[in-house]
Amino acid sequence: MRDNTLKYLLVLPAVVVVFATAIWPLIEAARLSFTVGRLNRPGSLEQYLGWENYTWAFLEEPAFWNSVWVTAVYTVLTVGLTTILALGLALLLAPGGRLRSSAQTLLILPFAMSPALIGVSFRFMFNPEFGLFDAFFGVLIPPLADVSWLADPNLAFAVVVMADVWGWIPFLTLVLIGGLASVPRDTIEAAQVDGASGWRVFRDVTLPQLGPVLAVVIILKSIFSLKTFDQVFMLTNGGPGTATQTLSHYIYFNGMKYGQIGYSAAVAWLMVIPMIFLTYAYAKFVFRKD
Amino acid sequence: MAEIKLNNLTKRWGEFVGVDSQSLHIKDREFLVLLGPSGCGKTTTMRMIAGLEDPTEGEVWIGDRMVNDDLPKDRDVAMVFQNYGLYPHMTIFENIAYPLRARGVAKSEINPRVEKAAEQVELTQFLDRKPKALSGGQRQRVALARAIVRTPKVFLMDEPLSNLDAKLRVTMRAELKHLSRELQVTTVYVTHDQIEAMTLADRVAVMKHGVIQQLGTPDEIYNDPANLFVAGFIGSPAMNLINGSVEGGEFVTTGGTRLVKLNTADRDKAILGVRADDMNVHGAGQGDIDVKIYAFENTGESTLLTVQWGRQRVIARGDRHLRKEQDDVVGISLDADHLYLFDPETEDRIRI
Amino acid sequence: MTGKQRRQFWSAVHAVLILVAIFIMLVPIVWIFLAAFKTHVDVYQLKLFFTPTLENFDIVFDDPYRLGQKLFNSTFVALVTVIIAIPIATLAAYSFSRFSMRGETMMLVIILATQFVPAVVIILPFFVMFRDIGLLDTRTGLILVNLAIVMPFAIWMIKGFIDGIPMDTEEAAMVDGSSRLQVIRNIVLPMAAPGLLTSAIFCFIIAWNEFLFALILTNKEAVTLPIGLALFKGEEGDLWNLLSAAGIIIMAPMFVLALMIRRYFVQGMTMGAVR
Repeated sequence: MRDNTLKYLLVLPAVVVVFATAIWPLIEAARLSFTVGRLNRPGSLEQYLGWENYTWAFLEEPAFWNSVWVTAVYTVLTVGLTTILALGLALLLAPGGRLRSSAQTLLILPFAMSPALIGVSFRFMFNPEFGLFDAFFGVLIPPLADVSWLADPNLAFAVVVMADVWGWIPFLTLVLIGGLASVPRDTIEAAQVDGASGWRVFRDVTLPQLGPVLAVVIILKSIFSLKTFDQVFMLTNGGPGTATQTLSHYIYFNGMKYGQIGYSAAVAWLMVIPMIFLTYAYAKFVFRKD
Repeated sequence: MAEIKLNNLTKRWGEFVGVDSQSLHIKDREFLVLLGPSGCGKTTTMRMIAGLEDPTEGEVWIGDRMVNDDLPKDRDVAMVFQNYGLYPHMTIFENIAYPLRARGVAKSEINPRVEKAAEQVELTQFLDRKPKALSGGQRQRVALARAIVRTPKVFLMDEPLSNLDAKLRVTMRAELKHLSRELQVTTVYVTHDQIEAMTLADRVAVMKHGVIQQLGTPDEIYNDPANLFVAGFIGSPAMNLINGSVEGGEFVTTGGTRLVKLNTADRDKAILGVRADDMNVHGAGQGDIDVKIYAFENTGESTLLTVQWGRQRVIARGDRHLRKEQDDVVGISLDADHLYLFDPETEDRIRI
Repeated sequence: MTGKQRRQFWSAVHAVLILVAIFIMLVPIVWIFLAAFKTHVDVYQLKLFFTPTLENFDIVFDDPYRLGQKLFNSTFVALVTVIIAIPIATLAAYSFSRFSMRGETMMLVIILATQFVPAVVIILPFFVMFRDIGLLDTRTGLILVNLAIVMPFAIWMIKGFIDGIPMDTEEAAMVDGSSRLQVIRNIVLPMAAPGLLTSAIFCFIIAWNEFLFALILTNKEAVTLPIGLALFKGEEGDLWNLLSAAGIIIMAPMFVLALMIRRYFVQGMTMGAVR
C-alpha cells in the first residue's frame, strides 16, 4: 500500500476515538445547553429555549457568580504560589548530587497520587483534634490551634489551596528543573566571570532563558486549576456553604444533584471558552520549533 | 548492475526548490560522487534514486526500468546511511542478514553470505554483538556489510564517513575504495568533503542550489573548473580569487597592480583565479611583484604564506624548508599555464 | 566570613531547606501510611509511636466495604483502557511523526485541546446517553469515557518516543526490502517498545486515579477505588484508619509504577511542550 493512503488509515482509529469521546460530547453539551434539560423530565432534553440557560446564569444566579469568583481566586492563588514555590525548589534541587537527586525521585510520589486521595489526606491532616498540620500551625500561630479549619470559609479555602499547591509543586518543580538544565551552562559562567552576583545571574541570565518553560508551566497549571474538582469534592464538597465551590463543582452539583443538565451544560460551555484561549497559547509553545 | 538515468529530476517543497530539473547519466559500474555544500540538493537527489523521496517532476531510471512508482524495497538498491541506520535491537549478524531475510532468501543461503560479507569488512568476530557494543568505525563496517551482502544493482552512500574521526576516515576511505573496485557495482556517493570526492570518484558532479555545476573526472574539476563556484569549492587552501580587470592584454588588480599577460579581450571586471600551489615564492625583487607577508604558517609538509596584495590577501604555498616572519617582503610569480579567469557577473569561466 | 566559610554556610542552608521541603512533601503520605496500621483508637490521637496492626486491611476487604471488588474494577478498567488506547495511539503517533498530512497540525491541536476540556463538560452527555442505553454503573461505560482522557496523552507521548527513533534506521529497512507495514512491525515496534511500555504505565496511572467520571457514572457495581473512599464516612464521621488503609491500596501500586517511569513524567504531562 502506498504511504499516501496508509498514513490516513493509521490515524483513522485514533481520530474516531477522539471524536467519539471528546468532540461529540462537546457538541452534544452545546446542544443540551439550549434545552430545558431536566434529567427527571422526559422530553425536556429536546425542548429548546434559546439562550435562557445562559442568561439565567448571568442574571439570576448569584451562586454562579460565586463559583466564578471562587475559581478565579483559586486559580490565581494556586498558579502563583505553585509557580513561585516550585521555582524556588527547582533552584535548590537543580545542581544535583545525592541528596538532591533523591529529593527529585521523591517528588514523583505526590504526583502519582490520586487528587481525590490528596483531598482526603488533607482533610485528615487538618483535623482539629488529631491532624498533624493542624498541630504544626497551632504551634507556629497559636490563634490557629485546634480551630475547625473546614468549618471556616476562609480557612477552608486556604486548606483547599494548600492541598492543590502541595499536589502540584512536584510536577512543576520537575519541569522547571528540566528547564534549568537546558539553560546553557556557559551563559551563566560568562555572567559569573563578568562579576554578577548570584541573584543578578539569576535575574539577568537564568530567568529570561527560562521564560518559555515558565510560560508553559503557568498555562498548564492555569488549565488544571480552572478544572479543579477532585480535591474540592473530597476535602470540603464546596463548603462551608459555597465558600469553596469551584465552577466544576457547581456544574456537577447542578447537573447531577439537581438534574439540571441543560443549565449545567450551559455553564460548562462558559467554562470551555477560557480553555480555548489557554489551549491556543499552549499549542503555540508545543509547535514552537517544528 | 545497471546504469542510472535521471531525466529533468526536480524536487520542490512548496516554494523551496531542492533539486532543479537535473539530468544525469551514471554509467554501469561507475563510481559517481555528488559533491557540494550542505543544502545543495545532493542528498535529495540520492534519496530520490532510493525512492525515499518522491520527485516533484522528472524520471528516475535504474537499468532499463523507470522506477518512479516503485517502492524503495522494489528498486534493488542498497544504501549506507550517514548515521548508519543500524537496527539497535538486532545482533550484527541479524543486521547484515536483514536485507536477505526481508527478500525471502533461503535460510541455508543466508549464513554463508552473511559470513562472507562480514569477512570482507573484517567483522567476523563481532557477529553476536549488538550495534551499541561497537565502535563508530565498526558500526560503519556493519552498514557496509549490510549493503554488500546482496549484489544490488546500485549502491547508494550518504556521507558514510562523516561521523568518523579524522584518522579513521582516511583508513575507511582507502578500504571503501578497495572494496568498490573489487565489487564493480554502480555507486552513487554523496559527500561535502572534496578529498573524499577526489580520491573515490570516477566522476564527480559538483552541485549548488539544486543544480549540477560541473560533471567530470576529479582531474577535470580540479584542473579545469567550469565556473567560479567549482573553482572556489575544490582545493585546499581554496583557490585565490583576485578582483580586477583586463586592460591591454594584462590583468590589473583593483589596487592597480599589473600582473600577467593574458590572451583575452579587455573587460572592465574580471576575477583571476590562481591556486596557492601555482604561485612561486622568491626572494624580494626576484618575482613578478613584491608583497608583504601578512601571516606565515608552517604546516609541516609545506608552508603557507598569506600575503597582502593591494587591498586583497592571497595565499601562496612555499617550500617546506622556507622560513619567514610576518611583515617580511617576498617576491611572487604566477604560473601562467594555470591561471583561470572568471566573469564576476555570470560567474562563468572565461577561456583564455 | 571568608569565601569558603560563606560557601559552607550557604550549602548548609540549602541542605536544610531541601530537607524541610522533603519533609513537607512526605508528611501527608507517611501519615496515611502510619494511620493505616493504627487501631481505631490510636488513629484519633496524635501518636507517632503505637502498636501496628493489620486489622484495617482485613476490615476494608470485608462486608460492607468489599474493597476487593473496587480493586478489581479499578484494575480492570485501567487495564482495558490502556490495552485499547496504546495500539490505536501507536498507529496514529507513527503516522503523525513520520508523514505530513493535510490538516495534521489541526488534528494534533484538537487532540491536545481535548485534554484540556473540563471533564465535567464531557461527562454530561455521556451520562444522558449511558442512562438511555443502560451503560450506567458498568465497567464498559467507564472504559469508554476513560479513553477520552487517556488517548491524547498516549498519542502525544508515543509520538515523542517515535520522533526520537532515527529515520535512518527505518529507511535502511525499506531499502533493504521491507514494506512500510513490515518496517513498523520489525523495526519501529521493537525500538519503541520501552517508550510504549512507559506510555502504557503513564496512562494506567491516569485511568486508575480518575475520579469525576467514576463518581458520576457508577454507584454500586462498577465503583472504582477512589470513589470507594467515600464508603468510609460513617455516622460518627470519617473512619480514618480504614480510609488510610484504602488510601495505601490506591497509592502504593501507583508509587511503584511511577518510580519505574519517573524520567518520562514531565514529558508525558506537558505533551511535548517541555523536552
